[in-house]
Amino acid sequence: MTARYLAATTVEEAVAAMAAGARPVAGGTDLVVRARQGSAGLPPALVGIHRLPELSSIDGPDARGLRIGAGVNHETIMSHPAVLTAYTGLADACAIVGSHATRVNGTLGGNVMNASPAMDTGAPLVCHGALAVLHGPREVRRIRLDELWTAPGQSSASPDELLVSIELPPPPGEGGLVTASAYVRLQYRRQMEIAIVGAAATVGVAQGEIQQARIAITALAPTIRRVPMSEEALTGAVVGADGRDPRGAADIETAARLAARAARPVSDVRASAEYRRAMAIVVTRRAVITAVLRATGGRVPVPASDTTFGS
Amino acid sequence: MRHPITLTINGQVYPLEVDPHRSLLHAVRDDAGLTGTKEGCDDSECGACMVLVDGRPTNSCSYLAVQADGTSITTVEGLADDAGLSALQQAFLDHGGVQCGFCTPGMLVSATALLRRSPHPTTDEIRVALSGNLCRCTGYDGIVKAVAAVAGEAAATAET
Amino acid sequence: MSRHAAPTVPPGPFIRPDGREKVTGLGRYAADLTATGQLHAAFRYADHPHARILEIDTAVARAMPGVHAVLTHADVPDVRYGGLAQDRRLFAKEKVRWEGDVVAAVAARTPEQARQAAAAIEVRYEVLEPRSDYVANLLPGTPLVHEDWASYEADANLGRHGNVLGRSTVVKGDADSAMATADVVIRGRYVAEACQGAPIEPRAILAEWAGDGVTIWSSTQVPFAARSGVARALELPESRVRVVVPLLGGGFGSKCDFHFEAHVAALARATRRPVKLVFSRREEFIAPDHRREGMLIELETGATRDGRLVARRARLVLDGGAYCGEGGFFAQMAAMHACGPYVIENVSVEALLVYSTNQPSSSIRAPTAPQTCWALEQHLDEVAAALALDPAELRRRTLIENGSVGPTGQVYEAIGAKQTLDAALEMIGYGKELPDDEAIGIACGWWPSFASPSGAYVKLNGDGTATIVTGALESGTGAVMALPLLAAEVLGMRPEDFSVRAQDTETGPWDLGSTGSQTTFNNGRAVIAAATEVRGQLLDLAADQLEVDRADLELVDGVVRVVGAPGTQVTIAELAGIGKVLIGKGSGRPPESPPVDASACVGRLGMESFLAPQLITHAAHVKVDRDTGVVRVLRFAAAHDSGRIINRIGADGQVYGGVLMGIGQALSEATWFDPTGRQRNPGLLDYKLQTASDAPPIDVRWIEIDTPGAGPKGSKGVGEPPSVPTPGAVGNAIARVIGRHVALLPMTPERVWEAAQADGRPPDGRPPDGHGQADGDATTGQAVR
Repeated sequence: MTARYLAATTVEEAVAAMAAGARPVAGGTDLVVRARQGSAGLPPALVGIHRLPELSSIDGPDARGLRIGAGVNHETIMSHPAVLTAYTGLADACAIVGSHATRVNGTLGGNVMNASPAMDTGAPLVCHGALAVLHGPREVRRIRLDELWTAPGQSSASPDELLVSIELPPPPGEGGLVTASAYVRLQYRRQMEIAIVGAAATVGVAQGEIQQARIAITALAPTIRRVPMSEEALTGAVVGADGRDPRGAADIETAARLAARAARPVSDVRASAEYRRAMAIVVTRRAVITAVLRATGGRVPVPASDTTFGS
Repeated sequence: MRHPITLTINGQVYPLEVDPHRSLLHAVRDDAGLTGTKEGCDDSECGACMVLVDGRPTNSCSYLAVQADGTSITTVEGLADDAGLSALQQAFLDHGGVQCGFCTPGMLVSATALLRRSPHPTTDEIRVALSGNLCRCTGYDGIVKAVAAVAGEAAATAET
Repeated sequence: MSRHAAPTVPPGPFIRPDGREKVTGLGRYAADLTATGQLHAAFRYADHPHARILEIDTAVARAMPGVHAVLTHADVPDVRYGGLAQDRRLFAKEKVRWEGDVVAAVAARTPEQARQAAAAIEVRYEVLEPRSDYVANLLPGTPLVHEDWASYEADANLGRHGNVLGRSTVVKGDADSAMATADVVIRGRYVAEACQGAPIEPRAILAEWAGDGVTIWSSTQVPFAARSGVARALELPESRVRVVVPLLGGGFGSKCDFHFEAHVAALARATRRPVKLVFSRREEFIAPDHRREGMLIELETGATRDGRLVARRARLVLDGGAYCGEGGFFAQMAAMHACGPYVIENVSVEALLVYSTNQPSSSIRAPTAPQTCWALEQHLDEVAAALALDPAELRRRTLIENGSVGPTGQVYEAIGAKQTLDAALEMIGYGKELPDDEAIGIACGWWPSFASPSGAYVKLNGDGTATIVTGALESGTGAVMALPLLAAEVLGMRPEDFSVRAQDTETGPWDLGSTGSQTTFNNGRAVIAAATEVRGQLLDLAADQLEVDRADLELVDGVVRVVGAPGTQVTIAELAGIGKVLIGKGSGRPPESPPVDASACVGRLGMESFLAPQLITHAAHVKVDRDTGVVRVLRFAAAHDSGRIINRIGADGQVYGGVLMGIGQALSEATWFDPTGRQRNPGLLDYKLQTASDAPPIDVRWIEIDTPGAGPKGSKGVGEPPSVPTPGAVGNAIARVIGRHVALLPMTPERVWEAAQADGRPPDGRPPDGHGQADGDATTGQAVR
């Protein structure tokens, strides 16, 4: 049972409380829910960070990219013009987290620090090259997300470091390169779902060829991770002006199979490991195809998971 | 340690003292005595506890009362006014959107929030917006028809 | 914008009288009630699914802060109870037989204190091997779940033996010989998982004693059964037990029978304080002795080239769980559904209801029918394929009709089965061109009506309004809320003029409760009879006052008037204000079960006769993602012969809700047990109800024909049938896309995907876990000839 609660008004106050043992709480959609489910009791001390102005805005886009406050909710992110155009994969993910109530209360920071291997925003953030900005008692440091997460529910942040924002670098666009992204998950229901498996892809396409690619997989390993082998398989893939060149399709298939090979899925009540592994191929293929289509002028509405069904 | 908080629920000010772990749901039901908001699962999966926190639909079972300090809460009891039932409440009755009624308060709160942010939703938008509210009786048919009818009525009013 | 559209709307649907309190949030459900000084109850459940209790030590728990009482089996009468077999006690005594068995109960000042004390009770066990595999429990020499089964009081027709709680057969003609002569023989083996009623309201109970009597406010579907149960378990006269049901937040069968009312009453008696119990969602999954039964279904059908069904052999094994509850009749009900609403010349069906150390099975909306129908209807599509007949055509040739003889010799009269088939096909657009990942599947089913005594009073108030007093139970369906429609018609009044006082054992006559789709069927009859008595009283008074012959009078629009001379009239309000007591009571006579010739059948418990059967055809239009196995139902059509429809908005609502419940059972809902019989998904995150965005548009049509043995105004029931053929229709649609039937229910994405693989084998071999092929090793479609 929580004995102490402080509603922080500054980041410093929040960090001081965390240094004294308090856990931060924003939307409550993860922390409080898990406590209610009995899997983890509420911590003895909590610090409310939902009213910190430093955490509540989206800054940019500018030459440094986009900075999303840790306290910004999913609904705000998915409807932000810069996210929709330049970080579409993140919009795909934010649009399918939980229900509408989850999306307007749950924050990006809470999602990231929860460190669930099944979180929807994780894979696109990794593909977008996101950095976590951690505010500690003495310093502010930046860390890549795939270095932040160390195990299911675990991060390398120390207990007195507060995630204040997520920084997204500008998508590469030099030399006629068009970068686009997508996140696709396997879902049994359209809403109120946890990713059974998921995959995000960003591709940089120029002259009908994939020049850069990033792929990350969700709920397929203890932490969300990139799949360098898949990325290599995509680099140089000829997708054509409309993104549908059959030569590229073969490379995309190879990349999808390599993603499945890199997966370390578990069996649980939602799916068997074998099914998850097979579905890794499907969601990776769909994420890459969607990203390529978006990079070559095609329109695939957000969220991609809905529209890629049955494709 | 109990924390003094102030909730404004349906326009009425409630100064309360709550434990830090008390959920907003229990503050509303047990401390403020408004039992229209229901507890169906206690982990944000059913939506029976949905209230508006400063206009935001929120599963009150998973929101701490201390976090809601100073906010304005709307519960199902706040949807009708002196003039009578809201258009949505009446439409739920007219279209068979109410059977056992246990999901109804949360469903009405979510639907009210939907029509405030999007007065003319498509049927699919209605279905997606209400997906956080589980109903076991109606197959959602009467509920979706009710919301669509009110949205249509709003559209018709806006056109004239 | 007008907020009050009602007056401008032409006479529309009847608005249920409890609607306003439900949409305003002012109505009270059981968990909303608070009694001054109330304590809170918590249970200590079994720590092992199967174990012998060696010792229960409550000393530490009793001494904890806030604790007022801790009860075990030693604190209540040593009474066994149950439905057809009386095989359980309030508190486990010698053994625990499933993870939800109650070992002890605590009353304390706060819910937290109660839960902490319950956890502090020390129980020593001798752990026994779980007997979760109900099919294996049939094997000779298997240890018994109930060692003392032979000493229990039970219905002699159950055919109990060891772990077999019930055995029923349906036998007609000589199925073995006929099978040998058939042109085509198809076999199938199907396995259905258990699933849940899952009402959105978790159950809640508040008990308070006054003198030597107790009042129990409970979220039960069956207040009179709950009263009897409390009286029996606590050895009280029924007159000392009052059960009141506030608004009920759904049940779907899961709140039938009684159990926890007695625990809470015992705690309230021991503490001399009101005691309240509110279940968490997890408890709502694990603790009730109610879930839909898991089942193994083996079917064999012999048919002739011209589409006659000459023989059906079947063997069904049902998971009865730890206790009988009110599920004792399930074997026979399942056996009837293994025949279905078809003309079959020779039948030999055996069904076995088996004890296990799983959660007990009891009535959930049309018990045994959806899963049996799911298997049978998929099996029939395979028969049709073997005969090169369209599935609809095979059903058209074999569905029962007026004069058909059923598997137990019942001769059906005025049956709308084929009309429902035609209507469903038309609504869904059967035969239209579809993309190759979409298809339409159909399924037919049936469900009997249940006759039961029931009663009601109708009282006229001094201002000309009226009150219906009934013992019936409004679970949300609207059946009780629609009773004013029936009374109003008899009395020439407006339905809005009636209030309804229901679900209180102290005020209303005995009623079976919200179970068996029987409320309109039986209580409607009672209300009409009671209103008819009042009508007679009004006619007498009016005849006196108007000085005319009683026979010349009619009741219309709130007045009693002379037929043909509408000027000569007196209002009902005037008559009601004279000062005479105007009150009617009624029950009417329940229709009798139609005759059968079931002499060859054993385990007869009454289900061999289907009174006023309801016929159903469902058609599902689905889209299958072959790569993932994810299925979406795009459209659904439901055609029902439920006799005459009395309250269209209520009846439609039952179909919409029942179909979506059936789609959930088809695709996403299952209680997954681990090998020891513990539930793996006792929560709404992983027990997946369909959401609004999953639900398809549903078209409904009623085939309204008059049937012998029907209820008031030619009605039958409507509540349960909408769930019956739904999974079968969805399954047949899936099979049409992927070319193979999924023989496991629910047909989860993983299972559909697996079936869609070329050889039915995933490339990497069999999954060790998840929802792949269950140990049942279900298979379908072996055409042996």
